Amino acid sequence: MKKKVISIVLGILVLITPIILRSKPSLISYLNLVMIYAIAVEGLNLLLGVAGQISLGHAAFMAIGGYTSAILVMNLHLPSFIGIIAGVIFAAFFGFLIGFPSLRLKGFYLAIATMALSTAITDIIKRLQITGSDHGLMNIPPIKVFNFSFSSEISKYYLFLAFLVLVVILIRNFLRGKGGMALKAMRDSEFGALACGINISYYKILAFVISSALAGLAGALYAHSISYLHPMNFGLGLSIDFLAITIIGGLGTIFGPILGSFLWIILPRFFGARLESMATVLFGVILILVVLFLPRGLYEIVEKFDRILKRPVGEK
Amino acid sequence: MFSLIFRGLATGSIYSLTAVGIVLILSTTNVMNFAQGDVGMFLTYIAFLFIARNVPPYLTLPVVVVAGILLGVVLDRGLMIRARRSSHLGMVMITLALTMILEGIVATFFGTIPLYFPPIAQGDPLIIGNVIMDRQNILTIGVALLIFLILFIILYRTKIGIAARSIADDEYGATILGVPINRITTFIWALSFGIAGIAGLMTAPRLSLEPSFMIVVQLKAFIAAVLGGMGSITGAIFGGLILGVLENFIAYYIPSIKESFSLILVVVVLLFLPNGIFGRREARRA
Repeated sequence: MKKKVISIVLGILVLITPIILRSKPSLISYLNLVMIYAIAVEGLNLLLGVAGQISLGHAAFMAIGGYTSAILVMNLHLPSFIGIIAGVIFAAFFGFLIGFPSLRLKGFYLAIATMALSTAITDIIKRLQITGSDHGLMNIPPIKVFNFSFSSEISKYYLFLAFLVLVVILIRNFLRGKGGMALKAMRDSEFGALACGINISYYKILAFVISSALAGLAGALYAHSISYLHPMNFGLGLSIDFLAITIIGGLGTIFGPILGSFLWIILPRFFGARLESMATVLFGVILILVVLFLPRGLYEIVEKFDRILKRPVGEK
Repeated sequence: MFSLIFRGLATGSIYSLTAVGIVLILSTTNVMNFAQGDVGMFLTYIAFLFIARNVPPYLTLPVVVVAGILLGVVLDRGLMIRARRSSHLGMVMITLALTMILEGIVATFFGTIPLYFPPIAQGDPLIIGNVIMDRQNILTIGVALLIFLILFIILYRTKIGIAARSIADDEYGATILGVPINRITTFIWALSFGIAGIAGLMTAPRLSLEPSFMIVVQLKAFIAAVLGGMGSITGAIFGGLILGVLENFIAYYIPSIKESFSLILVVVVLLFLPNGIFGRREARRA
C-alpha cells in the first residue's frame, strides 16, 4: 500500500519536474542527458548484469546510431523517425558483426573486440567527409513528428521519458520471457544452462545485439537533442563510464541504470568544469567502494528502504 | 624493407611487453587487467616528474620499476584480495576503476595537453647496409628481450615461477599442494606492473605524454594476446612482434585501412583461429 503511494508520488514528480523547472532549461537539459544515458546503460545492464559480458564499445554504438540518423536526416531529408530507426538497426547490425565472432568463445573476447571497434570507429569518423571529419557534425535538426518539432527542452524531456519508459518495459518483458530466463541461467551456471539445452551463444549474441541497438537509440536521440556530434565525445572513456554507471547504479536491476546515470550527470555539476577530472577520480573511488561493499549497487540502498516500508506497522 | 621490419619489431616489442603483463595476470588470477596501459601511463608521468628535475632519462627506469612493483603490491593487498571473495566481475571492474582514477589524477595535476618526453637513447640512427636503425628502437628491442629473458628465468627456474604456473594450470590443485596463492598473485601483480612501467617509458618518446597515450598500446596488446592464444606467455610475445611488423607494413602499403586494421584482425582471428597462432588446443568454443 505504502509502496504504491510512493510510486505514484514519484511518477507525478517525474511528470511535473519540467514544469517546476521551466524557468531553468539548462537543468532540464541535464535531465534529458540523464535519460539518454539511462537508455544506453539499460542496454549495457542487460549485457553485463544479466549475460555477464563486458562491452567496451557502447559509446561506439551510440556514435553509429547518432551519425546514421543525423546523416540520413540531413543529407537525404528523411523524416527523423526513420532516421532514428535506421540508426538503431545499423547499431544492431554492427553489434551482430562484433558479437558473432567473439561471443561464441569463452572469455573476455567481446571486451577486446568492442575495444577495437571503439578506437576504429572514432578514427574512421574523423577521416570520412560525410561525418564532418574532425570538425564534427553541426546543426543536426531536432526530431520532428508531422509538424511538431521537439526543439524545446521540455518537449524533449517528455519525448525521452516516453522512450525510456518504453525501453524499461521492453527490457522487463524480455527478462521475464524465455530469453531472460536463459540468460539468468547462463549467468549462474554456464555449464548447467548448457546441460538444459540452452543455446548459450545464441542468447549471448541476442543480448548483445539488443543492447547495442539500445545504445544506437540513445545515440540517435543524443544527436537530435544536442544537435552536434564529435568523434572525441564517443571515445573509449565514455564506454568505460557506461560500465561504471551500470555497476554503481545496480547490476542486473531495472532502475539501477537510471539511478546511476542521474548520479553520474548531476554530481560533477557540483565540482564545476575546472575540477571535472577530479570527478572522474571520485567516480573511480565510488566504483571500487560499490564493488567491495554494495554488490548490487546503489539500488541495494533503495531495496533496503523498500523492505523497511513493506514491514507491517509496529514490528521492528 | 628491412628498416620497415626493424621498426615493426620495435613497435611490436612494446606491444609484447604490455601483452605479457596482461597475460601474466590473466592466467594466474583470471582477471582481465584493463589498467595495464594506464598503469604504464601513470608510471611514465612519475618518471616525467624526475626528468623535469633534470634527472637523466635512463635513471628513471629503476624508479618506474620500483614504483610499479609498489603499486601492484598495494593494489593486490588492498583491493584485489578483498574483491576476490565477493565476485570475479568485481575484480575486472576494479581494474576499470583504476584506469579512471589514474587518468583523473594525471589530468588534474598535469592537464591533458601532450607533453614532450625525451627518448632514453639519443643520437643519430645507426645505418647497417641499407637498414636504418633508430637508437631508441634498438634500446626498446634490447630491453624487451632482456625482460623476456628474466621473465623466463623467473617462471621456469624459480620456485615462485613454478608456483605461479601451477596456479595458472589449476588453482584448486595448487591450493591443495600448499601453494600460497595470495602471496604468488601479489608477486604477479607487482611483476606485471613493473613491466607496465617499462612499456610506458619505452612508448612515451614515440608518441607524446598525455593521459590516454597508452590506450592504443593496450588495445594492441590485447590483440597480441588474442593472436598468441590468450594465456600463453610465448604466444603473447610473438603475437606482439607479429602484430608490430604487420602493422608497419599495412601503414606503409595500404594506409587507407590503417585505423580499422586492428578491428578487422580481431574479427578474422576470432572467427578462424580462436586458439590463436600459438595457443594450446582447447575446447573453448561454447
